[in-house]
Amino acid sequence: MKAINKFVGLLLICSALFTSSLSSAANQSGLDAEIEELKSEVIELNRELYDLEEKLLYPATTSFAVFVSMEEVENFNIRSVKLTLDTQDVTSHLYSKEQVDALRRGGIQKIFTSNLKPGMHKLTAEIQGVDRDGRAMKRVVVADFGKARSSKYLELKIKNNPNQSKPDFAIVEWK
Amino acid sequence: MQVGLNSLFKSFWGYSQMTVWVLILSLSGAAYAEDLLPDERRAKSRDLLYGQALYSLHAGEYDKALSLNNAIRKRGQKGYGKVLDIHQATAQLGLGMSTSATKQFERLISDQRISFLPAAARSQSWFYLAKHFYTKGMWPQSLKAIRKVQSINLNPTLKDEYHFLASTLELFNGNSSNADKHILAINKKSKWAAYAVLNLAVSYTEKDVHINKVEAVFEEALRLTQYTQTPSELTDRIHLMAGQFFFATGRGRSAIRHLKSVGLDSAYTPKALLTFGWALTEQWQYHDALQPWYMLKTAHSQLNQDVQETLIAIPYLLEKLNAKVMALGAFDYATEQYDEIYSKLEKSATRLNTGKFIEPLLAQQIPDRWGAFTPIDLSLPDHPDKVYLKDVMSHGYFQGELKSLRDLHVMRYKLNEAIEQLDAFAITANTRKQEFNEVKQEKLITLHSNHLAKLKSRYNNLNKRVKKAFNNPSGHGLASDQEKDQLASFQQLADFIGILANKKSINKDDYAQRLRRIDGVLSWDLSQRYDKRKQQVSKTLALLKASIQTASKQLDAASFAYQVAPNSYQGFNKKISRLKTKYQNQLSKLDLVYSKQREKVGGIVKADIKTRQQRVMEYQLQARLAAARLFDETSNKVRVIANAEVKQ
Repeated sequence: MKAINKFVGLLLICSALFTSSLSSAANQSGLDAEIEELKSEVIELNRELYDLEEKLLYPATTSFAVFVSMEEVENFNIRSVKLTLDTQDVTSHLYSKEQVDALRRGGIQKIFTSNLKPGMHKLTAEIQGVDRDGRAMKRVVVADFGKARSSKYLELKIKNNPNQSKPDFAIVEWK
Repeated sequence: MQVGLNSLFKSFWGYSQMTVWVLILSLSGAAYAEDLLPDERRAKSRDLLYGQALYSLHAGEYDKALSLNNAIRKRGQKGYGKVLDIHQATAQLGLGMSTSATKQFERLISDQRISFLPAAARSQSWFYLAKHFYTKGMWPQSLKAIRKVQSINLNPTLKDEYHFLASTLELFNGNSSNADKHILAINKKSKWAAYAVLNLAVSYTEKDVHINKVEAVFEEALRLTQYTQTPSELTDRIHLMAGQFFFATGRGRSAIRHLKSVGLDSAYTPKALLTFGWALTEQWQYHDALQPWYMLKTAHSQLNQDVQETLIAIPYLLEKLNAKVMALGAFDYATEQYDEIYSKLEKSATRLNTGKFIEPLLAQQIPDRWGAFTPIDLSLPDHPDKVYLKDVMSHGYFQGELKSLRDLHVMRYKLNEAIEQLDAFAITANTRKQEFNEVKQEKLITLHSNHLAKLKSRYNNLNKRVKKAFNNPSGHGLASDQEKDQLASFQQLADFIGILANKKSINKDDYAQRLRRIDGVLSWDLSQRYDKRKQQVSKTLALLKASIQTASKQLDAASFAYQVAPNSYQGFNKKISRLKTKYQNQLSKLDLVYSKQREKVGGIVKADIKTRQQRVMEYQLQARLAAARLFDETSNKVRVIANAEVKQ
């Protein structure tokens, strides 16, 4: 009888230990899953906030944005861009290694967003970087453009020029 | 005593050997999420949203990339095939959402129907996925992924790394023959060769391989370090590992040779000095053994576990040197030091409970940088736990948990920031409403309408007058009253000349010609004036017309503003308050998970502190026992001498 009692006791202890280890493992994965779920919910909320921001702060009638893109440019490492709208310096951006790589891999960067009244305007972009040989390069591109009562998107395009060792820089309308 | 300390050390060697594998993991460069992507795919059809998503993904802004990815899906993802799924999985991986990302990746890459994924990209993706699992310590999954890589399709620059990874994983799995094949395939001048051979050496140490063979493999690894990026660091590590192995297997001289070669200012110095001391002790070189231990004790913090072992090892050695009184003093000193260390660890535990340990660490993290690939800033300047923290952070599992806590902390910051932003949006909407109401009160449209009506009536009047004045191109319409009288008198005179000519009293031609000349002079003058005046009047009319157009535009703009302005605030308050509620709910949900994760991290630290304290207590107990024994021995000796003196 004593032996049976001992055995039952041992069995209970074992089962309790097994259950607790199972429940702790479940808790562990449960918490990880909760964190993942939270992350995806926060991202979804941020998207809603982004939409709201776009609609509220930059209505379609006045919104103006500038994008930066690079096309097949291997001989130029962009370091910074400074934008001047009419006579005012509006933004500047210093590029990290990852951001340069992102542009090279086909990414488009929204560098400036604002509201702009209809009429004639002038955008000046000052681009600094390094060429293939490590020499510093600076280019200034100017564009005069008209803004109607609709959104206006401009693109600062850095494009490879096969006939030259340096790329071409241009501000074009985003179509 | 010696047996006790040596067994303690050797048990530590076993633990250390296990962690060696983990240490090697950090050798390979971290796999970044974007590396898992197939070859470049540019923004299709100049799609702005896709281009921005691509930029965010490659720039490491994974949360933004995921948001944009969702936006593209919501808009309709026609034309992108499974690329968006791959991007989503990549961004999820970057944010540390491993479970969902892994599921997605495995589903995507193993799906042979995906036509856009060429064999090279597929192999590359499997390789990087394996690398990701490897760096996360998920070795079975990593092995599964690496076995799917077709090396023939792999980029040549990745081949050596692939063979290294595959060999390591096969070794973990105990499959030496497969591992050997991969090791042989690595180019000897590649940086991966040294790491692969080192892994092979480690695997030999775990098996019953002849000691000469192990030594040869360690030597080969040392030779290959010259091709790595940090040869001195790797050399130190190999020497330490070899030294520890040879010491544990009783090859003291080989151990000493390797341990002596470890640099004095490397991360492996404390462990090397400690083992060096023990190896010398085993060779009965007690005097020489004291030197590395004193160096270790003076140059490193007492919270370092190697230093803690040294504290008790030094008096043990002094005793061996028969300097029993000195040894007794050193044991007493060690006991005091252990008290101090124990209380320091206790204080760390208290700081942990009172939020003065983890919280300052989290507070200094950069709020924008989070996710699996962003390391935690462990600097904690002037904080009493900084030494302990660096020590405990060498454990991979703790890093992972702390990263999750950091991510939750960053998310909380982001949620709070978003709530503040929503408050600002509400203010903007209200300000716009007020502005609109103010403008409405100014009755701008009525003013513009009146002004336009006045301009239009002025224009019409002027037009009528002009039409009348310029009706006759001869310019007679522009003649002055005197000129009009003259023109009338010319007509009368012509009539009179006609009457007189009928009566044949005069020659009509003579008079008519003279009259025509006079009339011609006046008409020519008038016609000249007509052109000038017509130009002037046309200009005035054009100016008036331009004013009317401007006024019309102003009126249109005002009308448009009236129509559009309400759109810039109407309906937003509802959206803002709805979103704010969502954010607040999310925040309270997050707080709950945060406290759970905080407890988990705290639990790990507490358990670690407790283990360290137990170890310190064990050392202290040994030191006390040894001190008591020594005291007895020395006092008996004094008593024996005293008794002898009395007898004399």
